[in-house]
Amino acid sequence: MVAPKAPQFYSPQVKLRSLTEDYCEFVLSNVNASIANALRRVILAEVPTIAIELVEIESNTTVLNDEYIAHRLGLVPFVSSRVHDMKTIYEATEDDDWTDVEFTLNVRCTRDETMNVTSDDLLPADTRFPDVMPVGYDERGSLTRKHKSVLLVKLRKNQELKLRAVARKGIGKDHAKWIPAATVSYQFLPEITINHDLMDTLTDEQKQAFCAADPRKTFRFNQISKAVEIVDPELYMYDGEVLAKAAEMGKPGLIDICQRQDTFIFRVEGTGALTPDDMVLTALDVLSGKLQTFGAELDREGAELADLTHGML
Amino acid sequence: MFGDDEDLAVAEDQEIEENDAWAVISAYFEEKGLVRQQLDSFNGFINSSLQEIVDENSLITVTPNNQHNPGQSLEEEAESTTYEIKFGQIYLSKPTFVEADGETVAIFPKEARLRNLTYAAPLYVDLEKRVITRRPGPDGEGEESEEHVTPYDKVFLGDVPIMLRSDYCNLHGRSERDLSDLGECPYDQGGYFIINGSEKVLIAQERMANNHVYVFRKSQPSKYAFQAECRSVCEGSVRASSSMSVRMLSRAGAKKGAGQCIRATLPYIRSDIPLLVVFRALGFTADRDILEHIVYDFGDDAMLEALRPSIEEAFPIGDQEVALDYIGKRGTTVGATRERRVAYARDLLEKEFLPHISMEPACETRKAYFLGYVVHRLLLVALGRRDEDDRDHYGNKRLDLGGPLLANLFRALFRKLGKDTRAHVQRCVDRGREINLTAAVNKDTISRGLKYSLATGNWGVLGGPGELRPGVTQVLNRLTYASTLSHLRRINSPIGREGKLAKPRQLHNTQWGMICPAETPEGQACGLVKNLALMTYVSVGCAAGPLLEFLEECATEALEDIAPGVVARATKILVNGVWVGVHRDPGDLVARLRAMRRHVDIETEVGVVHDIPLRELRLTTDAGRCCRPLFIVQDRRLRVRKRDVVALQARDETGFSWDSLIEAGAIEYVDVEEEETTMMAMSIHDLKAAREDPLHAYSDTYTHCEIHPAMILGVCASIVPFPDHNQSPRNTYQSAMGKQAMGINTIVAIACYSGYNQEDSTMMNQSSIDRGIFRSIFFRSYKTEERKQGSIVQEFIERPSREITAGMRHGTYDKLDDDGIAAPGTRVSGDDVVIGKTSPIPDDGSGMPQRFTKRDCSSSLRHSESGMVDAVLLTTGADGQRFVKMRVRSIRIPQVGDKFASRHGQKGTIGITYTQEDMPFTAEGIVPDLIINPHAIPSRMTIGHLVEALMSKVAACLGKEGDATPFTAVTVEDISTLLHGCGYQQRGWETMYNGHTGRALAAPIFLNPTYYQRLKHMVDDKIHARGRGPVQILTRQPVEGRARDGGLRFGEMERDCIISHGASAFLKERLFDQSDAYRVHVCERCGLIAVANLKKNQYYCTACKNTTGIVAVHLPYACKLLFQELMAMCIAPRMQF
Repeated sequence: MVAPKAPQFYSPQVKLRSLTEDYCEFVLSNVNASIANALRRVILAEVPTIAIELVEIESNTTVLNDEYIAHRLGLVPFVSSRVHDMKTIYEATEDDDWTDVEFTLNVRCTRDETMNVTSDDLLPADTRFPDVMPVGYDERGSLTRKHKSVLLVKLRKNQELKLRAVARKGIGKDHAKWIPAATVSYQFLPEITINHDLMDTLTDEQKQAFCAADPRKTFRFNQISKAVEIVDPELYMYDGEVLAKAAEMGKPGLIDICQRQDTFIFRVEGTGALTPDDMVLTALDVLSGKLQTFGAELDREGAELADLTHGML
Repeated sequence: MFGDDEDLAVAEDQEIEENDAWAVISAYFEEKGLVRQQLDSFNGFINSSLQEIVDENSLITVTPNNQHNPGQSLEEEAESTTYEIKFGQIYLSKPTFVEADGETVAIFPKEARLRNLTYAAPLYVDLEKRVITRRPGPDGEGEESEEHVTPYDKVFLGDVPIMLRSDYCNLHGRSERDLSDLGECPYDQGGYFIINGSEKVLIAQERMANNHVYVFRKSQPSKYAFQAECRSVCEGSVRASSSMSVRMLSRAGAKKGAGQCIRATLPYIRSDIPLLVVFRALGFTADRDILEHIVYDFGDDAMLEALRPSIEEAFPIGDQEVALDYIGKRGTTVGATRERRVAYARDLLEKEFLPHISMEPACETRKAYFLGYVVHRLLLVALGRRDEDDRDHYGNKRLDLGGPLLANLFRALFRKLGKDTRAHVQRCVDRGREINLTAAVNKDTISRGLKYSLATGNWGVLGGPGELRPGVTQVLNRLTYASTLSHLRRINSPIGREGKLAKPRQLHNTQWGMICPAETPEGQACGLVKNLALMTYVSVGCAAGPLLEFLEECATEALEDIAPGVVARATKILVNGVWVGVHRDPGDLVARLRAMRRHVDIETEVGVVHDIPLRELRLTTDAGRCCRPLFIVQDRRLRVRKRDVVALQARDETGFSWDSLIEAGAIEYVDVEEEETTMMAMSIHDLKAAREDPLHAYSDTYTHCEIHPAMILGVCASIVPFPDHNQSPRNTYQSAMGKQAMGINTIVAIACYSGYNQEDSTMMNQSSIDRGIFRSIFFRSYKTEERKQGSIVQEFIERPSREITAGMRHGTYDKLDDDGIAAPGTRVSGDDVVIGKTSPIPDDGSGMPQRFTKRDCSSSLRHSESGMVDAVLLTTGADGQRFVKMRVRSIRIPQVGDKFASRHGQKGTIGITYTQEDMPFTAEGIVPDLIINPHAIPSRMTIGHLVEALMSKVAACLGKEGDATPFTAVTVEDISTLLHGCGYQQRGWETMYNGHTGRALAAPIFLNPTYYQRLKHMVDDKIHARGRGPVQILTRQPVEGRARDGGLRFGEMERDCIISHGASAFLKERLFDQSDAYRVHVCERCGLIAVANLKKNQYYCTACKNTTGIVAVHLPYACKLLFQELMAMCIAPRMQF
């Protein structure tokens, strides 16, 4: 896997392929792996979201203990579109800084059948922030809801759960519950070249076997032209099965596959807390913020060094 | 493998397939559960043994003692009275408990566990007092007797602890719903006892089978070359076994010209007796008669020749009287008259010699035949016609389960009770008091005896004959479900752990299918502690009577009725080691016996062993034989038909069950000994091969077929996926680890990745931990009761007040509520007092007002633990005292140092935790939960680990279950093909990207789901360090152990190390300053310790009466202690400078 040519890093390019409420796919090109990875890491670790951080349990007669329920509450994704207006308790300096959103939960099972306590039962105690809520909360009772509520605990008759929960801003570095994405990943764009001369020495059966060797079906045997074609290079997952097959058939140079080092197919899967575009944009903000701090720090260090050298002279 | 349910449109009589065996297996477990052997055994004890034991020793006869002439009865008196007490029918109630206020209530196990009570049922017995008065008839001749009978109905005899889920348990036959309403786990299998609130398991004890004849070859230092022995035990007696052996002198040991004589060892006889003397003593005088009983076939010259030296040796002793005298002379009594000696010997041969044959008079013929048989067996080995017997053959072993163990204990206790009762009655009779039987029967003997043995595991009667056998019961292991089940199926061999002999520890071929080949501890108990395989059935024992009747009907000739010459032409029939007769058509007899067993006309557990080379038919009905079910094969076809399996699968409607299969003769239980006379097919496929091509098949005379070879494993080894792909010790390791594990499916990468997983450490995804992977809850309970000391001094649960309470603890008392107990939901941490309790300090009698009137005896939390009070129980204990139990909960989150393992003996600790962004990832966005090091694989050869991972990936992709059962046809290639079809690299490899740099990792990574286990060893329970802390009182050196905040030992090797470094100051610091530094003042003149008063600056040597020249010396306190101890022994250690 040799890099094809010196990549051009001057002008990173983004080509958006799809964007939905909780999924986004784009091609990031003209950058190297470190940039793509920085973006991935920042989305995971440093894009803030809202999650329950503090739980005060007043009464809990369920089968699950307090710690268990508190942990489950923490993992419930919250709609965090307004997270940028909030401050974490560490950042808060002013009295009127917005740090907390309070919720209450008060359920008791009175029927004979089991009752589910879900994130829908979390009632906002604070009417000032109606848009901070568990994902899917606004679709309560709807038959066609897109986001199902999150099951917290099941109650038997006469069991009760009563608590107060405080949601706060936080980042994934501190606890996984603040990670905005289900997963973020990228794939190096493969460049596949078929050595047609060599390929032509194979029988049709061999060609078919060759195509079948790839579990992702990247290759196709064209019945008409009797040639091996590439369906879509992106399907290829670098599993090496076709290369192994070629070697097995005694034709090691049959195809050449290399990873493009400057093009990434980037995929972000959301949890409903933030939209993927929000995540990526916030991540870029965080990243540029970091660079600015770094730049400023460099400048300061440079100036100090200059002062120092100046003083010594 | 990922089998789709096929349509089961089948012909009724079709052969079953491999997979149909599972229907049979699940029917078995559904009906029998996994602790059947315990339950069966205990039920056997309650239902039959108990009454039998009472009947055995039911009669107590008391005659009044002559007060002035003790020992002699009042013969001269005209009238004599005899008192008889008879124990009759016994009754066992359901488990009950008598509250302190006298109310009797039914008790359920949960309550017994919570309130530290014993789950036991009262046992009652019908008693009968019979006063027989005899007086001489009015005419001076004959006797008149008068009987006066008083019945006592249902007298309380004692409490018998009841095994959970046995027939007499209150949970027996309850539905799942009922059980959960009673607070009982529906998955709990029972099979254990609850004694004082703790769950006790009776561990099965392995022993050699009684009444078997074993022949061994002796090695050189011994005088003898061969030995045949028989440990003879009469059924249902408490008497120790009576061993008899017959030995042949080795050529080297024999005197010149004497040849290889055969001698017999008899019980209570000091020296060996020449063989023929024993025969003569039994009444067989002629050489020919004797030889007929040994050799059977007079054409056998070699054997006759082998007996020549013995015949010559016994030549001087020609008749029975002389022989008996010869034996009597060597008995325990010395200096008796000839008459008495002969009588003694006769009695000995009747009662002590081979008691299992008979203990009645007139059994010489049978005993002679048996002795002859023992000699015959000896000669067969001596002549090289047979190999010596195998001590470790599992057919020669018996397992004593709860039933026999309890029966033996109960028998001993009941005898003691009988003795005590007799003594009581005797006293009453002698003192002329009214006999009150209810008072005479001590209610505590049985209750206490059973409870003591079950609670401590010391098996036997305290202060009784024989020694106590330790470790028979253990506290049931509840760490995990598998560990509980495995504990209930454990077997112990009481052979010294130090024994170097490897043989008893090795896996024996005959253990196949009976004992798990993998599950055994490592180290000292390796191979001595075993576990039952999944389908092992342990026989409970049944009466031999019906069998004997049947044999008689079937033309078995009794030994008394045959001429010895017949034996050579017939087959010997032995029932439980007793030679009962011979039969001339054994083939037919065996066939009929087997047929009867298959129709349950005789018990299914009867063993039928037709030993053709020995011309023997051995039938066994005794308890403790290991058996296992097998498919019966007839004409190379299984007797089970497809319709049986179909009926079994719909057992809810058809009512067809495992037992129906037994009754239908499709399956039978085969014990280890009988197994050796069968031809077993490993799979149904083998039978097919034998049918289709008998010439090339392995065998075409199959008699049985395995139900499934996977059933050879035990509970813990069955948890290992693909154990047949692992190196065998790995399965053993996992079997041990599975007992301390809780598990979950995780995504595991096998990669190096930064190196924080070297030497069996692993990397764990911190984000997964945040999301709750491997989180566990740890509970510890604390218990206190208001104990009464004497009648007045009573402890009191309260919040101790600092003003009036002495000896208060370090920790805070703030967590206590007003009732002196911390409330549920309170956060508690190290040393906090959780239950406050005081006991009053008695008045010191000085009349002065005391500062303290109470002493603190509160319970505080273990100092290294913390958590939340989960629940508090306030109740009364067995004696009605206030009783508090508290459960403290703490959540354990995985952290660096915690121990994890896969199911293949691959254990490791967390070396580092990485957050999601730092973990490697695939293009699909999959991030591993765990990264283990590839170096863990090659040397350990746990291929099963890899195959499990591969199959897990397929199962995850397809959303189906995979089958990881051993000895099935699944291959790695099959799994790989499926995985390829799912769009993945067929060997489970994936290209991954480095989470730190974002670049692709050079090597493909084996990334698959794997079931991982969290083990109970966690750093938080182990972490320990101390700067200063408590010291021992005696030596003033730091105490030992983390629980006591002890020091860490600086041992010899550490000392050597520091000496070799020359770091003497450090050495002194470790061994002296940081340990037991002390200073004494020593008189320079005499070198003895002087008196020093530092405050007044006065020094004085008591030895020299000297006040000058006294120096301070620093030395270890232990050294000072040694000097003082020496001085106490009149040795003066002088320190001279």
